[in-house]
Amino acid sequence: MSGLYSLRDADRSVKLAALLFMLVLGYAYIFAFFMVKNYAGLTPEDVATTYVPQRVEASQLPEASKSTTRALDLSSMEPEHHHVDTQLLIQDSHIHIMIYAIIAALQTLIVLGLGWSAWWRDLVILTAFGSGALDFAGQWLMKAGIGGFAWLTIASGWLMTAVYVVVLLGTLRAVFAKNETRGASA
Amino acid sequence: MRIPSRKLASGALLALALPVLAGAGDHITPTVVLKKQAEVIKATLPGASSFFLKKVEIGKRDLSRIEQSGGFEPESPDVKFYYGQDGSGSTVGVVLFPQVNTQHGPFEVGLTMGPDGTVRDVTLTKATVETKPWVEKAAGTGFLEDFRGLGAGQAPTTALERLRSADIGKMPTYSGKQVAKAVEHGLTLYGILYAGSGRAAGGSSGGGP
Repeated sequence: MSGLYSLRDADRSVKLAALLFMLVLGYAYIFAFFMVKNYAGLTPEDVATTYVPQRVEASQLPEASKSTTRALDLSSMEPEHHHVDTQLLIQDSHIHIMIYAIIAALQTLIVLGLGWSAWWRDLVILTAFGSGALDFAGQWLMKAGIGGFAWLTIASGWLMTAVYVVVLLGTLRAVFAKNETRGASA
Repeated sequence: MRIPSRKLASGALLALALPVLAGAGDHITPTVVLKKQAEVIKATLPGASSFFLKKVEIGKRDLSRIEQSGGFEPESPDVKFYYGQDGSGSTVGVVLFPQVNTQHGPFEVGLTMGPDGTVRDVTLTKATVETKPWVEKAAGTGFLEDFRGLGAGQAPTTALERLRSADIGKMPTYSGKQVAKAVEHGLTLYGILYAGSGRAAGGSSGGGP
């Protein structure tokens, strides 16, 4: 048997806690998706616009100010794009990176009881922790002005989702699979 | 090594409570739109039958003037001015949306300037889940009214005095000061980028529509 314990053979309360944790986490992830969609967008362009600073580089400015004027239809005025400045990113980082680590640790507790092979188990654990770290690495790289790293933040989000789906499926399998050992001994 | 299932159950339940506890105290504070920009433009430019957007790309000379007279560096190299004209083509006012970014998130106001080049209205347009109750409490003192009549380069001393004398608590007072700061930034940007060298709304070229 691989791992620290077997979720399949664990007490009913352990199975209940693991299953409810994964289901409630999924519930939260649904709203996390809408949060990202509303505030940052789902395309690399939108994500880059959210994080890449609009720096005022004096050396790159023209000598005199220039202006353009156009007629405006108030009914079709585009909403302002949400922008995360450095101060807000510091606040987001200290909260999210910590929460990501706690979520990854709790998913790891479940992974250790799923009876997976060592390499697959380690890969899922590494991805669970790494995706959260890479998510904010991408955001900070964009904040440094490298908008091309929007893909890293987006890919990290999908990796996080992939870890969730894999662990959820493993949990469902372990919780609802027939326990032949117990069945035989009963 | 195997851990007994019953011990594991209590450990798992305890671990399950941790993110809930942490999450309850430390949730992200997304921005909240208190009033849409289009609504502010429409409401504070009565009599306007047509609206225009003037986008100014800041040049080196004006950037230097903003830094010297306003004591800040704009967040963006572009500043947007929204103005309205009545049926005869006269400008009835100009609206801009200056924003101050803090560790609690952005504070944005809609700053409407009348044709005489003074403040006609200040409306709160953006805060965060965290700061919304603070700015609303500050607004409850009526300090937004005190900005009316201010011109470019004038400090909002009456508004700040009212905030200081009102017993509204530390964070609402702090939020009110950020709003005053946004208004001051807006007045500087208006004075330099829109009204130009002393011209009011309705000027031309470097300033005005």
